[in-house]
Amino acid sequence: MATFVPRFPLQRMRPTQRSGKGRLALAALAALAALVALVAVGALVAVALVGSALSPAGLFGGSRPFSVHRLVAQANPSDPLGVRITRVYGTTTPAKIYGTEIGQQEDQGINRSGQMISDLSPLAPAAFRGPVSAYKRYAAGWLVRVSHETAVLGAALRAGNRAAAESAWRDTWSAYLHLGAVYGLFGSLDQEIDGMPGGVPGGTSSPHFSGLHRIEMGLWTGQPPHSLVRWSNLLAVDVAQLRRVLPGVQITPLVYATRSHEILEDAQRDLLSGMDVPWSGEGVLGTAAGLVATDEVVRTLRPLLGGRDNTLVEVQNELLLLSSALAKVRREHHGTWPTLAELSITQRELVDGTLAGALGALEQLPGSLEAAALPEIPNIPAGQ
Amino acid sequence: MSPLDRRTFLTRSLITAGAGAVGVGVGTSASDASAKRPSATEQAHSVLSDELATRIPFDGAHQSGVLTPAQDHMTMLALDSIAPNGAVLFEGLQALSAQARRLMHGDPVGVTEVDDPPPDSGILGAYDAPDALTVTVAFGAALFDDRYGLGHLRPKRLVEMPNFPNDNIDPTRSGGDVLVQVCANHRDTVIHTVREILRATAGKLVVRWTLDGFQSAARGPTPRSNKRNLFAFRDGTANPDVTDAVLMNRLIWVQPGSGEPRWATSGTYQVVRTIRMHVEFWDRVGMLEQEQMIGRYRVSGAPLGGDGEFEDPDYPSDPDGRRIKLDAHIRLANPRTPTTANQRILRRGYNYHRGVDEAGDLDDGLLFIAFNQDPDRQFATIQTRLTPEPMVDYITPVGGGYFFAPPGTSGPPDWVGSGLAAT
Ligand code: HEM
Repeated sequence: MATFVPRFPLQRMRPTQRSGKGRLALAALAALAALVALVAVGALVAVALVGSALSPAGLFGGSRPFSVHRLVAQANPSDPLGVRITRVYGTTTPAKIYGTEIGQQEDQGINRSGQMISDLSPLAPAAFRGPVSAYKRYAAGWLVRVSHETAVLGAALRAGNRAAAESAWRDTWSAYLHLGAVYGLFGSLDQEIDGMPGGVPGGTSSPHFSGLHRIEMGLWTGQPPHSLVRWSNLLAVDVAQLRRVLPGVQITPLVYATRSHEILEDAQRDLLSGMDVPWSGEGVLGTAAGLVATDEVVRTLRPLLGGRDNTLVEVQNELLLLSSALAKVRREHHGTWPTLAELSITQRELVDGTLAGALGALEQLPGSLEAAALPEIPNIPAGQ
Repeated sequence: MSPLDRRTFLTRSLITAGAGAVGVGVGTSASDASAKRPSATEQAHSVLSDELATRIPFDGAHQSGVLTPAQDHMTMLALDSIAPNGAVLFEGLQALSAQARRLMHGDPVGVTEVDDPPPDSGILGAYDAPDALTVTVAFGAALFDDRYGLGHLRPKRLVEMPNFPNDNIDPTRSGGDVLVQVCANHRDTVIHTVREILRATAGKLVVRWTLDGFQSAARGPTPRSNKRNLFAFRDGTANPDVTDAVLMNRLIWVQPGSGEPRWATSGTYQVVRTIRMHVEFWDRVGMLEQEQMIGRYRVSGAPLGGDGEFEDPDYPSDPDGRRIKLDAHIRLANPRTPTTANQRILRRGYNYHRGVDEAGDLDDGLLFIAFNQDPDRQFATIQTRLTPEPMVDYITPVGGGYFFAPPGTSGPPDWVGSGLAAT
């Protein structure tokens, strides 16, 4: 069953009105929820209330007391309140369609030909242009940082200073992860810069296993720093190449909307599990970088999300919780990111659990950001 | 329950004994029907459910556990040999077959001297009910290395499992000299079998890795409806028909004259892939996208655009993938063209659940098991074709291996793999 999302935006409520009629509004909301529950469970007799008392103004700002006027059999259960909506925030679709037809479809989960459909009208693809360019500017900024840190890493390796090289490796890798979930966007460059040996024929001993994780393996398994210089040289070349291609990279609305939750999904699957940091164990550092990237992507998408379900508020709340959880853990480790092995059970649970909570909110983003109507699936021709 | 109701016992035996290879075991004492006192086997049988009483033969032209409909529970045991020479290895393999034969048959648990350890752990009680147990034995490429001088007998396509794109194989969860697939209707039967097999082969074979699997319950809507895997989709729908002997000779069993060593005829290659399924990730994917990744409706299992689970997806009328995307799992796995018909495999996978990983995510997945005549022509071709499927983001192959399941046995004292000693 679809969760109840008020069709009229609660943001319209001004603080003064809320404080004045707070209790009334809450009572009205409780009654509303009960109503929706009634309708949703398919009660035969639904409740209709007096239209004027139930307009948004009536609910939150009007002077008439809230009351149940009469009980009637409801002919149109998807619109039990008789609310007239003229405009819906966050969409150009006429409210008539958004508030009635689409709403009706959402509650039933199917369209008139019986197929499952999306609940929100699609956003115009052009609406993503601004967010995507803002993201690219952000990414370009971090790439400058990656270049710089790569140079520091190379110098430390050449100097044979393992401790300095490890520290530079952390900075370089973390800077790269600030770009967010970049796989697939940059062709094979991402594999060359941040790829793991799995899937490379020959695995860790393959000459095709290169990039940050090749250097990670070398540093944390005691290989001489000098022997890793060639990998840092190659890395510098790849990063420079990435800086050249970034401006021209195509990021479709679908990809951008999906990445908004995939960055932290990847952090959970690959980093906090230890899978992609088998040598350094720096899963928390990588997750913290992924959180910054996610925050940025969500920030760029903010204008598109207004009024589309309650997604933005929920996402921002959960991201905030995650960032305070990470900050707490960092404080407890004297201002540094602990390795996975250094996490206490309590810290581990806090980070894993908060991240799982954040993912629970982020999963709504792609659905709230659809830029194309879902396709209808044609039937297999008869006579097979 | 009364210890014996002879009439019920005989009736049930008669009804179910006719069900083909999978019959109800009547023990050794059906012939003494006129005797006054029932034997221990009869007594035990009288209280067994049909499921527990179901017996699958160990001996036969092919090993069981290949075409056998998947029982509810399984444990995969990958063993390494520590035998110092071929003779000791063969002793271990003989013991393995003898134990498997005994357990699949079902026997009263013997009693020896009270001051000796009992010969059977006894966790199934006084009678080891057959419970549709199958023990299927296969060999890994490693067995044919230079330790036992068996190199010249290696089945031609038996190699170490290649590293496919997107694989993340853990060496401690893959490979092995001898693979033992134990399946039965109940979990305790499987665990008991594993325990007795390890006991019988101790000192010769040691566990390299192991994994428990289970089938989802049959939840209909029809008895034919396939069960679901942990992505909630029905699994097994489009398997080749195991009752079609001609087809099985074309797709599953190694044929004479195929360039394989003679002892391998009537055996089959068993490909095992432990595939972690990132179920939390999957659960965050929209329903339609899930269905498009697979190419089927989640609830019914019908191909997209169709109504029934077993309907033909009819790709020729959907050349652009408007119904079933061109990179959907089922379309890449089997494009259903004349040239891909001989690439089909028999899948007999099990769900697994191993707890949670370090990040608190469920370590759930599919113990993918495929039988095929030629892994290059069949499994590897399909696996390679699946490389670009969108589902790869939600799964990680972490273990498994290529194995060869030799032909079946002719009866005691024959053993699985005896062809290696005879040649
Ligand atoms: C976790 C991994 C996998 C999942 C969740 C999965 C799931 C499915 C599902 C739901 C179906 C449709 C129902 C059916 O016909 O059984 C299917 C079909 C199939 N799968 Fe998989 N599968 C997985 C891995 C593999 C692998 C590794 C292979 C082989 C390399 C494979 C080969 C096939 C084939 C051949 C079919 C039948 C297609 C047809 O004939 O239409 N699958 N799979």
